[in-house]
Amino acid sequence: MIYDEPKYTPGGDRYIEMELGNELNFDLNFLVHSLTKNIRDSKINGILELLPNMASIVMAYNPDQISFDDLTKETTNLYRSLGSLESIELISPVFTIPVLYFDHRTKECWEDYCKTIQPKTYDPDLMVELNKLSDKSQLKRIHSGTEYWVAALGFYPGLASLISLDPRCRLTAPKYNPPRTWTPKGTVGYGGSVTCVYPDQTPGGYQIIGHTPAPVCDLKQRLPAFRKDVALLRPGDRVRFVPIELNEYEYIEAHVAEGTYSHNIARYSKFSIKQYHAWIKSLDEQVIF
Amino acid sequence: MIEVIKAGLETSVQDFPGRWGHWEQGFPPSGPFDMWSFRMANLLVGNSPDAAGLECQFSGPHLRFNQETTIALTGGVFKAKLDGKDIPQWESIKVNKGQELITGFAQKGARGYLAFSGGIDAPLVLGSRSTFHLAGIGGINGHALIDGGVIETFEGKQLHGAHVLEKYRPKLPAHKTWEIEVVRGPNDDWIDNIGHDIFFNSEWVLQTRSNRTGYRLTGPELVFAKKAREKGLEHGEHPSNILDHGYPVGSVNLCGQTPIILVSDGPSAGGFINPWTVPSATFWKLAQSKPNDIYKFKEVSLNTAQEMRRKIDQICVEENIST
Repeated sequence: MIYDEPKYTPGGDRYIEMELGNELNFDLNFLVHSLTKNIRDSKINGILELLPNMASIVMAYNPDQISFDDLTKETTNLYRSLGSLESIELISPVFTIPVLYFDHRTKECWEDYCKTIQPKTYDPDLMVELNKLSDKSQLKRIHSGTEYWVAALGFYPGLASLISLDPRCRLTAPKYNPPRTWTPKGTVGYGGSVTCVYPDQTPGGYQIIGHTPAPVCDLKQRLPAFRKDVALLRPGDRVRFVPIELNEYEYIEAHVAEGTYSHNIARYSKFSIKQYHAWIKSLDEQVIF
Repeated sequence: MIEVIKAGLETSVQDFPGRWGHWEQGFPPSGPFDMWSFRMANLLVGNSPDAAGLECQFSGPHLRFNQETTIALTGGVFKAKLDGKDIPQWESIKVNKGQELITGFAQKGARGYLAFSGGIDAPLVLGSRSTFHLAGIGGINGHALIDGGVIETFEGKQLHGAHVLEKYRPKLPAHKTWEIEVVRGPNDDWIDNIGHDIFFNSEWVLQTRSNRTGYRLTGPELVFAKKAREKGLEHGEHPSNILDHGYPVGSVNLCGQTPIILVSDGPSAGGFINPWTVPSATFWKLAQSKPNDIYKFKEVSLNTAQEMRRKIDQICVEENIST
């Protein structure tokens, strides 16, 4: 549900978690990012960091500049003044990310986990089974059959949490327990109902189903897409995964290595939540890709 | 110029208060783990408290000075030697060109802070010189010190003979048990009363697998509230799973049944609950404890936690340096 008023809880002496609701819901996440933008624009004295996520915002503040009570009063006022959600339109660029599904790198990573930590079902097979799909091709078709919304960044520099905008393409996946100690950079993962691209070689808990040779984070800012920022994606952007074959994968990999790879980004697209709602209503959700 | 003969164990460049304003993209604050000792080290050599210095962990570096400078070593007890002679800690010390410092091992506490007059000259990355080696940024070339490396410093004052009175230093416990303050929240309502009692009345052992990203604890099983057991599927299967959310620095992150205190280089977000948070004023205790030390948690109010931090800030000022 989406709460009537934000709920606040302290995180030690200088953090506050503000919850706007308790579910994975696009409208709720849209609200989170709209409120985050308003808080940022209001320039409240004493706010040090804003960390929006699925349904909540964690704020870091300086208690010498603003008290817990005053800060939460101000943000509640901003929440009340947000107005109707339907009226909001956002510029939302679309990033096309090439993916080699069921690739050699993630397979090697799964094999290593089975050998060194504990045996488990091969991740794509597990997802086919749990989501009652016919086979891995359908998994690929569904995963690449929708645009994704960047709902949050975090956990690791450049890591974006993506949720599917097409309700017919929603999958679920359990998380690894215990987590992996390593995941190849560029791995496409799925955990809960969130998909992601691992920006670097890191530990991880999502099921791993493919690999992209196109980087999503570049601390050295070598490729053109990273001229302005080290991370490719921002909350409110959209992503589409495109299945590729090994030869295309190797072509892109070589161009990334040369520093000549240009990401496929459409920057003209606007996102209207009103039209999105209307489109969702028009869908026959029985139709499965 | 200062030559690094032996780097020690993950000795890193840090500055106060670290890297702020980039958390949304996943960059943690980093910075010195024990900010109390760090600031005092800077003040001792005539620097502003925010200048970049070294954080030593368990085993400090062996350095050769190719310049005259002033240094100060604070934090844990290290038995450091300059050209083979013991040097006092919590004091500013004149170093001549050609002298060698062997910081040695932590005898008591775990982290030492080494400040140099003028502060370390390393590039500012996203506004800070602090090393965040997981992402390869900050410090010297994005990583901890390396054997054979070089440290450059800015010009600074040469303040000798200054010291910090005992009452202005953090007090290391005589035994290996620490009282660690926590504030309840953000997700304290995911743990039931029995769970909270277990957390506060048990001894927790700090695991060897603990570092600047997280402090893992071993202890009894906790008990979850109904809210944690009966929830929407999107929150995940385990009672400790929650819809992905931001992680306050210092939060006690419950990963299954393993509490992990998320510290200076920790993750900014994830899908586990944080029932309690260690306030910033208690971080020096975390920084100075060693694997297998024992933690006993004590609940403090938000106001108390904020007051504790103000007290430390009032200590870490130039006026409290004795000359």
